[in-house]
Amino acid sequence: MIVCRDICKEYRHAGLRKQVLRNVNLTVQRGDRIALLGRNGAGKTTLIKLIGGVEMPTSGRIEHHMSISWPLGFAGGFQGSLTGYDNARFIARIYQREYAAIRDFVEDFTELGSQLRMPVKTYSSGMRARLAFALSLAIEFECYLIDEIILVGDQNFHRKCRVELFEKRADRTMILASHDTGTVRELCNRAVIIDQGQATAYDDVNFAVDSYSAL
Amino acid sequence: MVPGSLRRLQSAWEVQTRVIHALVIRELSTRFGRENIGFLWIMVEPLLFASLVGLLWSLAKGPEEHGISVVAFVATGYIPLTLFRHSVQRSVLVFTTNSSLLYHRQIKIMDFILARFIIEMMGCMMAYLFIGLILIATGFMPVPADIGLFLAGWALYSLFCLSICLVLSPLSEISDVMEKFIPVTTYVMIPFSGAFNMSSWLTPTMREFLMLSPFVNGMEMMRKGIWGIKVTAYYDVWNPIICSAVLIGIGLPLCRRVRKTLAVE
Repeated sequence: MIVCRDICKEYRHAGLRKQVLRNVNLTVQRGDRIALLGRNGAGKTTLIKLIGGVEMPTSGRIEHHMSISWPLGFAGGFQGSLTGYDNARFIARIYQREYAAIRDFVEDFTELGSQLRMPVKTYSSGMRARLAFALSLAIEFECYLIDEIILVGDQNFHRKCRVELFEKRADRTMILASHDTGTVRELCNRAVIIDQGQATAYDDVNFAVDSYSAL
Repeated sequence: MVPGSLRRLQSAWEVQTRVIHALVIRELSTRFGRENIGFLWIMVEPLLFASLVGLLWSLAKGPEEHGISVVAFVATGYIPLTLFRHSVQRSVLVFTTNSSLLYHRQIKIMDFILARFIIEMMGCMMAYLFIGLILIATGFMPVPADIGLFLAGWALYSLFCLSICLVLSPLSEISDVMEKFIPVTTYVMIPFSGAFNMSSWLTPTMREFLMLSPFVNGMEMMRKGIWGIKVTAYYDVWNPIICSAVLIGIGLPLCRRVRKTLAVE
């Protein structure tokens, strides 16, 4: 279970202040697949970063009783100057996993071949997505935080994600930020709309998607 | 209750040592790569500095001063000074440059500071060992008279360098101005580092003043450890310990505060 209590997050820079989230309360049950809906800049990524422990809330608490992946998104998690293999080695080390097993899975899932010997900064966003998914799947988290990135891959990648994540690991919890209402309707069982700093949870995904589309 | 919290402490310790180990390896491979001598480059700079400056000084001042070899004296002064200067330079904006790693929750910002400091310290110790062996073999430096005292001095000197980093790293995130002052400060610091003279060579008032510097205390211990009765050393072990404790007491809460507001891309 993940519980967010009264989370506020504001950013300050050069005297400017932007309050992104205001008193957000959210409870995620084990096995939930939650869609985060909201317009650009509404705070979806911020909420995912807070749940992932990447950034700290300005006030409020986040409690969790399961292992949570790092936010799988366009940025973060990798060292651009290191190769794909080196990043895999680094992640195997800090998550205390067998490197050989992780490497085999990454090679098989990403199909990047010799590209894995190139620095990650030379990768396209689709290639990064493959690597990020491969590593986080190899580590086996109980909850996956997915920030948009599922949309960048090609058909082959989508199919693999579907099999590995939504079929083989159907019991896992998932928090998915997405603008793709089709994916959300199909995959998620709950939805949260973030608008003007407030989060509203809906048990009826179709209803949530409709009201999001009306925003 | 007690065994439970002990076990938690133990597992937290294991996680942190593993993370620091991974960070050190990562930093070494990004900074030095795997070509030619690879990570051995970390000791090249202190080595070059110590030997070339030593050579320069012995040309300018003659081979010996106060009965000890100028080359050896400069080398023993320059290597700790390099540790200080490098670790301070490396600690600037260390959180921002590493922030993409904060995606992994077991990595704490303190690990960034520690990992970089450990690399600098390893480099300097290797350089020290290398140059020390050469100088001992060629007769410029005696076999250390009291290796324990030397190591204690090195440990205190390093501890103080680390505690400075713990304060500077978060300050450099809070204020951009900080960064601009660091090169000139490390330069002005040189007379207070004890690198180029023994306290006993100074006037008593000057000495009393310099003894306030934790660096001088550590440096005197190291030199006494090497030359033994050939030099007179003035030091107080409590000075670096207390100064470090004060800085750590300021630095840790500062790091915590910065982490709370750190924006990660």
